[in-house]
Amino acid sequence: MTKNDCVLCHRPVNFSIGLIDLMLPVKINEPTCCDRCCRRFELINQKQACPDCGRKMKKRELCHDCVKWNSQSSLDFKNSACFVYNDEMKKFMQQYKFAGDYQLAKVFRAQFMKKIKKSKIDLIVPIPIDADTMVTRGFNQVVGLTTGQHLTSALEVRADIHKARQSSKNRRSRMETVQPFRLVNPELVANKRVLILDDVYTTGRTIRHAAALMYEAGASEVQGNTLAR
Amino acid sequence: MKIADLYGRQLLSTEVPTELLQTAKGLTVRSAMKAEGNWVICNRCGSARPKSACALPGGVYYCAECIQLGRVSTTLSLISASEPNKFKKYDNDVLTWDGNLSDIQAQCSKNILTVFQQRKQHLLWAVTGAGKTEMLFEGLDWALGQGLRVAVASPRIDVCNELFPRFVEAFKNTEIQLLHGRNDSPYKYCQFTVCTTHQLLRFYEAFDVLIIDEVDAFPFAQNEGLLYAAKHAKKREGALLFLTATPGESLLKQIKTGRLGISYLPLRYHGHLLPTIKCKTTPSWKLKLKKEKLPNSLIFQIKLRLKKKIRFLLFVPHVEQLKQVQQILHKQLPGEKIVTVHAADEKRIEKVQMMRQNEINFLITTTILERGVTFPGIDVFVLGADDDVFSSAALVQIAGRVGRKIDRPTGDVIFWCGGYSKNVLEAIKQIRYVNRKGLILLKQRSTSDD
Repeated sequence: MTKNDCVLCHRPVNFSIGLIDLMLPVKINEPTCCDRCCRRFELINQKQACPDCGRKMKKRELCHDCVKWNSQSSLDFKNSACFVYNDEMKKFMQQYKFAGDYQLAKVFRAQFMKKIKKSKIDLIVPIPIDADTMVTRGFNQVVGLTTGQHLTSALEVRADIHKARQSSKNRRSRMETVQPFRLVNPELVANKRVLILDDVYTTGRTIRHAAALMYEAGASEVQGNTLAR
Repeated sequence: MKIADLYGRQLLSTEVPTELLQTAKGLTVRSAMKAEGNWVICNRCGSARPKSACALPGGVYYCAECIQLGRVSTTLSLISASEPNKFKKYDNDVLTWDGNLSDIQAQCSKNILTVFQQRKQHLLWAVTGAGKTEMLFEGLDWALGQGLRVAVASPRIDVCNELFPRFVEAFKNTEIQLLHGRNDSPYKYCQFTVCTTHQLLRFYEAFDVLIIDEVDAFPFAQNEGLLYAAKHAKKREGALLFLTATPGESLLKQIKTGRLGISYLPLRYHGHLLPTIKCKTTPSWKLKLKKEKLPNSLIFQIKLRLKKKIRFLLFVPHVEQLKQVQQILHKQLPGEKIVTVHAADEKRIEKVQMMRQNEINFLITTTILERGVTFPGIDVFVLGADDDVFSSAALVQIAGRVGRKIDRPTGDVIFWCGGYSKNVLEAIKQIRYVNRKGLILLKQRSTSDD
């Protein structure tokens, strides 16, 4: 593979450096994936998204899932997402997470980081994975999507509960999942604005469990940011 | 899992149960990847990448090239057991096929047998529709009788699926397995394997005889890892036979330097030459397509075929163009059923079946129908043959769809192209070359008959 092959379809990427790129003292980012592949992922415009979970909507209004959430719990939690979790994104996640092609993360790394930097927060906490997965996969898929700076590993997966993969369950059994996480040192979170990172927001169960823990430990505000919704 | 499942295989240490790893004797354990300077090399597929392009956190590296078969990384090892050739002896005939070979085929068949017996590396250049599979039977008959382990591999699943029943029919007393990514039946240790070339990555010094069909097809021709896999899947002194109708540059180079033997079969089984390619240049076909027009000569030829009741295939370079061409032809040919097909088409198999059963007069297609399909008595048109998607091998294969049956051994192959691209010229040259060889053979035969 040469340097300029698309990491997704392995076809060469055509990109041109304009005069402005040469004149300005800015680093030129070589694209990691070709236009054709990029177009398959659907960006979410924040003006046309659910304010609570970040799902793509016709206009800025609560989606039916979030209406349900609000009637069930009083957790003040807002999530935003970059991309729609469409078939192409599912395929990407399959390849990245389950096949373990770590290098694919660089397709979205820049975009994901840009979004994180915009948020006004004190602590960035990625959703952890359990020890067994860490051994077989070799990386945390959420940490992989970031450049790894400023992250605080405040959460860890509880070892005492048996955990099946969320993606292998149906909606009903996902919603019945018990708190899978534990705080490593709760005083770290107290009176902080916390941003929780995850790869995909599907039912919201996982990330809301994490958010609830943060509030229990005294966080002043908890937001979420996911790559896909 | 038994130790027999590891004979001649190479599996990742994560794929083998730890119990077997501890108890079994005679296992070889090799590291799955090796690091050399700034590069890491995968020991399964042989691909080398700079460390920066294949790093996992924590100083571990992995191979992205063969990741579909389970991720190879520097922390893992490859487990294999040497091939003992423990197969049952035959009480009755190995070959249960009672067809006949033509005299040219018989000659080639003899060549193949000697290649197997002397464990050589060899290329059989046989034109499209020459009857390659039947020519393998004699050699395979010998190899199986000797208790050797054999495999026939092809880059394409469709080809494997087509070959498998033919081998089962021809070797009824042999246990044969079919391995490919879309086949769920588990691996079992047996003497005869039909598989995709990707599956060869899981074998290590297993086969005494390895045959690779359609070496020029995607992805084998473009992927050096698969050639590496093929060389390692056979035993060090094993025989390797490549079959193709359109050898690529690298194979031809190996022949020139004498590393690879070659035999030709320049005539089809019915003894006719290949149909030659006719080219029509229409520099503006792309522009015309945008204006919803097709070259007049193409429309003329299509109408002519419909009038004469000759069926045909129309190839276009890209999926997007299928729809455009379909719409234009809809206006031009009212009342005609116009069907298009491409690789990701859900009704692909049904549509090809419709063409087989004479339900439609023609089919507009992308390169997916370039090989492995036979429609009797068709002509072939290619719009935009100079596009990059048509490699010279693909063009020769497309031309090879014509005249495959004895009742209409000739036919027309017409290319519409913006200009003569390298691939188009190369394809014309290749067909001319084999036809010249075929003509010599025909002359020899007619003089020996006298």
